[in-house]
Amino acid sequence: MTNPLHLAAPMLASLILIGCGDSDPGAATSPQAGTVASPRLAYVTNGVADFWTIAKAGADAAGVDQGAEVDVLMPTGGVTDQKRMLEDLVTRQVDGIAVSPIDPGNQVDVIDAAAARTPVITHDSDAPGSARRCYIGMDNYDAGRMCGRLVKEALPDGGEIFIFVGRIEQDNARRRRQGVIDELLDRDADPERFDEPGGPLAGSKYTVLGTLTDQFDRAKAKANVEDVLSRHPDVDGMVGLFAYNPPLILEALDGAGKTGAVEVIAFDEDEETLQGIIDGSVAGTIVQNPYMYGYKSIEVLSKIARGEDPGIPEDGMIAIPARTIRAADVEAFWADLREKTGKE
Amino acid sequence: MILQARNIVKRYPGVLALDGVDLDVAAGEIVAVVGENGAGKSTLMKILAGDVAPDGGDLRVDGRATRFGSPRDAIDAGVVLIHQELSLADNLDVGANILLGREPRTGPFLRRADAAVRAAAALRAAGLDLDPSASVASLGMGTRQLVEIAKALSTEARVLIMDEPTSSLTAAEADRLFETIERLRDEGTAIVYISHRLGEIERLADRGVVLRDGRFVRSFERDEIVRDRIVESMVGRDLAVDAGLRAGAGSHHGEARLEIRGLRTIRHPQHAVDLTIRSGEIVALGGLVGAGRTELLRAIFGIDRRVAGEILVDGESRRIRGPADAADAGIALVPEDRKSDGLLLDESISENLVLPGLARTAAGGVIRRPRAERGLAESLVTRMGVRPAIHDLLAGGLSGGNQQKVAVGRWVGCDPIVFLLDEPTRGVDVGAKAEIHALLDRIARSGAAVLAASSEMEELLAVSDRVVVMHEGRIAGTLARHDASESAIMRLATGGPAADVARSEIS
Amino acid sequence: MKRAGKILGVFGLLVATCVATSALTPYFLTAYNIENLLRRTSLFGVISIGAAFVIIVGGIDLSIGSVVALVGCLLPWLLVEHGVPIWFAVPGVLLLGLLLGLCHGLLVQRVRLQPFIVTLCGLLIYRGMARGVTGDQTVGFQNGFKGLRSLVKTRFEVPGLDGFAIPSTLLILVAIATLAVIFLRFTVWGRHLLATGRNASAARHGGVRTDRYVVLAYVICAGLAGFGGMLFILDVGSAQPADFGNFYELFAIAAAVLGGCSLRGGEGSVIGVIIGAALMQVLQNAITLIDWIPDNIQYAVIGAVIIAGAISDEGFRRLLLRRRTGTP
Repeated sequence: MTNPLHLAAPMLASLILIGCGDSDPGAATSPQAGTVASPRLAYVTNGVADFWTIAKAGADAAGVDQGAEVDVLMPTGGVTDQKRMLEDLVTRQVDGIAVSPIDPGNQVDVIDAAAARTPVITHDSDAPGSARRCYIGMDNYDAGRMCGRLVKEALPDGGEIFIFVGRIEQDNARRRRQGVIDELLDRDADPERFDEPGGPLAGSKYTVLGTLTDQFDRAKAKANVEDVLSRHPDVDGMVGLFAYNPPLILEALDGAGKTGAVEVIAFDEDEETLQGIIDGSVAGTIVQNPYMYGYKSIEVLSKIARGEDPGIPEDGMIAIPARTIRAADVEAFWADLREKTGKE
Repeated sequence: MILQARNIVKRYPGVLALDGVDLDVAAGEIVAVVGENGAGKSTLMKILAGDVAPDGGDLRVDGRATRFGSPRDAIDAGVVLIHQELSLADNLDVGANILLGREPRTGPFLRRADAAVRAAAALRAAGLDLDPSASVASLGMGTRQLVEIAKALSTEARVLIMDEPTSSLTAAEADRLFETIERLRDEGTAIVYISHRLGEIERLADRGVVLRDGRFVRSFERDEIVRDRIVESMVGRDLAVDAGLRAGAGSHHGEARLEIRGLRTIRHPQHAVDLTIRSGEIVALGGLVGAGRTELLRAIFGIDRRVAGEILVDGESRRIRGPADAADAGIALVPEDRKSDGLLLDESISENLVLPGLARTAAGGVIRRPRAERGLAESLVTRMGVRPAIHDLLAGGLSGGNQQKVAVGRWVGCDPIVFLLDEPTRGVDVGAKAEIHALLDRIARSGAAVLAASSEMEELLAVSDRVVVMHEGRIAGTLARHDASESAIMRLATGGPAADVARSEIS
Repeated sequence: MKRAGKILGVFGLLVATCVATSALTPYFLTAYNIENLLRRTSLFGVISIGAAFVIIVGGIDLSIGSVVALVGCLLPWLLVEHGVPIWFAVPGVLLLGLLLGLCHGLLVQRVRLQPFIVTLCGLLIYRGMARGVTGDQTVGFQNGFKGLRSLVKTRFEVPGLDGFAIPSTLLILVAIATLAVIFLRFTVWGRHLLATGRNASAARHGGVRTDRYVVLAYVICAGLAGFGGMLFILDVGSAQPADFGNFYELFAIAAAVLGGCSLRGGEGSVIGVIIGAALMQVLQNAITLIDWIPDNIQYAVIGAVIIAGAISDEGFRRLLLRRRTGTP
């Protein structure tokens, strides 16, 4: 048996140390904290997903390379939870925060409040107009257009498609979806355009029948696909914009005996999506590079904390481009992914 | 006359509750209103107090025609009803209860000093020497009743209506209440008094009014108030008062069916109780409220944990860890509070009657046989004399007496060896009371052992072969039938010496 | 009869919703859609029957969704991540559900904690356990375990009805519902359970072992929640422990209440509960299928229907009470 005192003593000591750190008046007076040799950095996601596990691997790797202490936080309670996390991180006086805002339009004040005390950057989803130092990620609208091109490849003669997404009030989802729609309707690029999710949008060759959300309830997500199969028995293609949507589309198609009869165009790199590409049931997927989001975020924050030049371009956007994965690339991509996430 | 009611009519769906009843109340008199349950007494009182609107008839206060839209109107006119179920909020203190809803205040703020003075004055008027800041939760039932009266007096009530005020009081508490009532009468308050206890009416009433089936039967002047005559006009027939019920039962009882050895309850662990009841015997359990009768019955039946003690049924020691074990051993208990413990009010009469014996009618003890259940329920409804004899009527819709017949009947179907009853006739009218007494007699004659706790002297004396009197958790003494008298019981119940008690009866 | 009347109310509501929906969209009455509805109703029906048992004894179970998540995540986690054999993993997770119910029952009955608190803590604890054990990772069958998944994926074609098949989940629901009906209506135990919920003190004074029935109800509820969790994960294929089964306890409680269970205890009908569960699924389906109803107001529609059901139920109860007691 371990003597509980052996455990208690160091815990007590660390509590005292943390307490001392908190009361140090110099630490948080300026966001330009300056020259911290071993910065304490935080990487905040917008939820819990495998996507973020990969990003965490990148963030952790950058932490080792840069000699930074990295804490990855995944909120489960939506905006409220994320706000609480940011506030708590500021209270903890971390030396930098990278955050993927869930609802950027309404979170500018939250981000600004944090940015007043410590350097803040956004990743994956940007909050334009806030005091964040830079945005690391891809342009979701562009990625959406890439996805739209994938739809055109899969259905060269045109057709009717349906879009499935977790939540549409989230900026990345909105822009991603708009990119798909604009590409299919051959519109000019305008990331600020927004089509209501209701009725059909018809172009010359392609018709977007509608968009259904599931608020991250998977049973509901699957039911959505089934209901669309009821409502539109002749649908030609289905686009799943969040990582878990494509596998559930496959699941529902399998149940209806329509695997292969409906083209599936995916987003992100769920294992079942990748397997689907190998099997031919998925036309292709647009993948981001979450590993690089994590890595780059921590690298930039470390440099800011140490007072080095983080190399932020004029427009404040460090682009990590999305990639299109088709049958030809899938094996190599998957092998690389496994290596990065440490899965066999 | 302060209050005059003329030709009052009240209909409920399917029932004519009051059919042209008159009642006059003058200052400085106590008018007793008597009648069986369902005779319409409570409905009449509710109409007088503005709780219920009549369908016909006139109310006059001080000779002026009046209509009460709510209890508030009645209170403003000086007519206050004190309900049978006390309505004190026991999270508030005595003063707050007395002034509830009529607190002296300045804007939203309570004038505390003023409130205390007014509450204290009301308490004095009710003859209570009590601090208004005392907690209601700490008061006994008798004191609470007097607090209710103080509350009524603080509204400057001129007519006080009391519905069964002594139903949960001890004899001493009741005496104190009677003194207060008589003093209020002498000071000019008019009092309408409802009770089943005819002894109280003999003592208090200046005039008696008898209702039956929603109609006025007759009234009695002070010197005419004699219990047998009142009973006769209440039930509408010459009732053989059950005095002679156990006369023929004799003292030749059979084998011991229930033996209790060294039983200690959690409430009174310092006293060990020993008691034996034989086949065919009815033992009455007397004593003041709080003497430990209910606790003893609950401990035997396994509701409460026992600190120590052995229970033998037919000479065999039984392990009783809950009511289910007790039922398996052949013990039945009809609890004191039938509404919360004795019956499922929202279920039908037959569901109630078959519940304890359900496994006995079921195939293999598990799969129910509706036909057998129905047969059992119908035969019990007949045997118990439940009225109306509609077995799928909700139990909650029955009168108190008939509910009690169902509460007893649900055990009769199990043929218990030992029948325990706690206050078997509380809140039951005279007719049903006699029927329940006859039922106990039949149960005993069929060979069971019966132990019945009661606070009513008449009942203790009328239906028992032996009266066991408890005092502060122990058995103070046992009185054989021929030795038992009200004074002997009271002496033991108050802790007096058991000088002339025949101890030979204690096994 | 009172019970039949109560079921008729919710059944009427279901029929009305179905008729209205099929009038508004031609896609409602298709073989494929009906099959989907049957499958979803079956899954939610299983957990709703569990909720009904607890509500009948006058309790409440708020932990159903979290038990669904815990069992639903543990099963693929054991099978896929740890290679635990099926014959061990499946009985293991089902036993876990029963044990959780036993804990709830004992805490409520022996320790005398309020059911709301016990199961609210269960809701938090099991959610946390599911996320902790899996490390917040999505768990799934990854296209494997087809044999086990055929438990919910098998379809029985109905000859003569083109394309219509009965999902195996419906048979599972029918089996569970039959057992529940037999238990509640035809056994002494069921009568004792109902009496316990109606008035525990009176039932106890009547020789009913009320403590056992209260515990039993919680065991049945959590056991069925666990079983339901297994069915859900077998159907959906993968689960994210942070949100799998979220709010399912409320769907289950709502179905039970719609189906005639009184939160006061003592009343409930298994058939009614299944109809209640079906009504919730049809409503969601209708909102998706009918174009002009926006998808995002679905909770508002469900809430409104439950309130309508409760109001009509209360009116019905008063009417019956007046009729049966004769006097007020």
